[in-house]
Amino acid sequence: MFKWFGKVNFSPCTKVSEFAQHLKDGRLMGSRCKKCGLESFPPRADCNRCLSSDFKFKEMSGRATLVSYTKIVAAPSGFENDAPYVVGVVDLKEFGRLLAWFGDTIQEKEIKIGMNLQVVPRIFEEIEDIKVYYSLEMPGTSWSSTNSAT
Amino acid sequence: MELGLEGKSAIVTGGSSGIGAAIARELAREGCNVAINHIHQDAQARKIIDEIVAMGRNGFAVETDVSDFGAAEEMVAAVVSKFGRLDIMVCNAGINWDGVIWKMTEEQWDKVIAVNLKGYFNYNRAAALVFKDQKSGKIVNISSINGMRGKHSQTNYSASKGGEIGLSKALAKELGKFNVNVNVVAPGMVMTDMAKSLPAEFLNAAIDETVLGRIATADDIAHLVAFLSSDKARHITGEVFKIDGGQYI
Amino acid sequence: MTRVGIIGIGHGKFGRRSDANVQELAFEAFREAVADAQIELNDIDGSVIGSVPEYHKQRSLAGVVQEYLGLNPKPTWLTEVACASGSAAIRTAWMGIRSGAHSIMAVIGCQKMTELSTAEILALMGRVGDVQWESGFGTTFPAYYALFAQSHMHQYGTTRKQLLEVAVKNHFYGARNPKALFRKEITLEDALGSDMVADPLQVYDCCANADGAACVILAAEEVAGKNSKPVVWLDGVGCASASVSVLRRPNLVELPSAQEASRIAYEMAGIGPKDIKVAEVHDCFTIAEIMAYEDLGFCKKGEGGRFISERQSYIGGQTPVNVDGGLKAKGHPIGATGVSMTVEIVKQLRGEAEERQVPGADVGLTHNVGGIGQYCFVHVLRRE
Repeated sequence: MFKWFGKVNFSPCTKVSEFAQHLKDGRLMGSRCKKCGLESFPPRADCNRCLSSDFKFKEMSGRATLVSYTKIVAAPSGFENDAPYVVGVVDLKEFGRLLAWFGDTIQEKEIKIGMNLQVVPRIFEEIEDIKVYYSLEMPGTSWSSTNSAT
Repeated sequence: MELGLEGKSAIVTGGSSGIGAAIARELAREGCNVAINHIHQDAQARKIIDEIVAMGRNGFAVETDVSDFGAAEEMVAAVVSKFGRLDIMVCNAGINWDGVIWKMTEEQWDKVIAVNLKGYFNYNRAAALVFKDQKSGKIVNISSINGMRGKHSQTNYSASKGGEIGLSKALAKELGKFNVNVNVVAPGMVMTDMAKSLPAEFLNAAIDETVLGRIATADDIAHLVAFLSSDKARHITGEVFKIDGGQYI
Repeated sequence: MTRVGIIGIGHGKFGRRSDANVQELAFEAFREAVADAQIELNDIDGSVIGSVPEYHKQRSLAGVVQEYLGLNPKPTWLTEVACASGSAAIRTAWMGIRSGAHSIMAVIGCQKMTELSTAEILALMGRVGDVQWESGFGTTFPAYYALFAQSHMHQYGTTRKQLLEVAVKNHFYGARNPKALFRKEITLEDALGSDMVADPLQVYDCCANADGAACVILAAEEVAGKNSKPVVWLDGVGCASASVSVLRRPNLVELPSAQEASRIAYEMAGIGPKDIKVAEVHDCFTIAEIMAYEDLGFCKKGEGGRFISERQSYIGGQTPVNVDGGLKAKGHPIGATGVSMTVEIVKQLRGEAEERQVPGADVGLTHNVGGIGQYCFVHVLRRE
């Protein structure tokens, strides 16, 4: 179901398709090679260290620090109505790196390289199809506003 | 079957008597904290709350007109504040005000639509705001077989009950991605205090319409509502459950 | 293995060439190079075409170019590595000659960027980086370099003014290059006042798309030197790759592919960065040129901003860079750029650059990057 991922999706076919299913359930997943233990975010099915394809998803906390950012003014197809928007590249606490938009809990003027952020799974709410993504938010922001285990 | 409703919180509109009261009691029996609203039924409402509290649950009642948009948001906020959460919204409060169309006044039409259809919109919307962020929730809207077929002298009532079905189906589409179920329960004739006061011919005519040779009790309806409020029904959404003894097949 | 030299160069006019298709543009540059090399058409025993197919309506470009140039039945094929396609074609021909498989090869970098509609270009724009993990958020080519710029500014204190000083320099030299797209100088004020594209990069920080072609003729040592011009030897040929995704780079202030490619090229040529007398670097964005000064070792890490502020990359400075206008003023027909850079260095090393001549230039360098740094080709050229 990887076609659910991103406002525009050019890569519906992938061995890590379930990533999008997990994201819809509020879980951010990296990968771990079952043979040699190499961990990766973004997740990858095939290990580029030992060449094994035996992998499993590993849940990430979403805690992150900002590496760089930019405000995109000239937008590509599909994003014309969203421009301008700010994207950031963050180092994830456990391993790996991620690129995403900033969400509503961060004011543009607060953005500083090195700041702590929380990656939060998101659903595109007003589109009828299921489409998911993640956003960069203030630390402590959670996916659901109550902690029910429904 | 264990429904797993222990600790959940529910609102039942029109929960002071009839079907609503039976639903409120049944949910409480299954482990829910329940808030109800009513209009001009203070004593009955207090009685239901006493029963709920006697079962060891939290409960409270509010007197309010369900066609009031703002009051719906207030009630949801009050439940989240007092019970800590909202999991189940059952819209049941409804009226009828019958008459052939050429004698029906504008007020007759407006009032039935406002209480029955707008009332469900008000409470479904207020609940959706919570459920959407929470990524969980159950909405059960009580309609009627007379929303699925036409009933003489009920252009306003049938319109409102049919409208509740359209509302529920559209809402099921909007809330599905947030893990929220929206379903409709459509009873036929139900044996409530109100029904008991009807002339005998009416009741018999209804019984004759059924294939089971009886009309429903309020508890029959409540059992179905409790099931639909539980995760045992987690894969059911956008559906209309006729519960009418075969009165309208 | 044989030494490989450049014996002929040709360069077409870069710009919005609605007057010609890609093979006609290739022909302009090719004819000039063949004449410059003083060879017969039949002396060429193979060609390599550098171009990026997705911008053209014609499928499989090498074929139509070869046909139009009159080079059938000689072997030909396309090399594509985004904006470094031209240099990849040069490297391929170098390998072909060095191995003994070929003796004289024509390398044509040719590109039309303007055959696509605005909508088609906008759709392509969003697919530059990793389409699986990044394009879903609407990233663009300038956005990636903007990430580099923000990081560089944060870590080293590089300023927006320093970025735009690169643009001012390149337009200064572009005004003196008849083959460039933009022939007017600009001021820092003009540049600072331009629209934002991806913060902090403004319109004047970004190179423009263009159509165009350039050609070089490469020859084995045994057959080079037959014409009256000095042979320019391809003595250092370095190439390296890096992750496409910025999520898998060590940091966002340098291009590891450029560092590795230049290390290989310097070592092969037996020289160091300070021996380079004139250079062409890949200034797709102003920050890219500043990072190139550092990655190539012209200055220390973090001092790229100071290098331009002190005019060290002007003629008369420590290492003149992009004195033909660079991508910024020439325009960037992506398949042609690497060959265009090579043409300029050959001109400089032969002493043919007229008012843009770097005095005494005998060793030069081209630095051609593909995409956001996943490919880099660095060549060291020498005239004896």
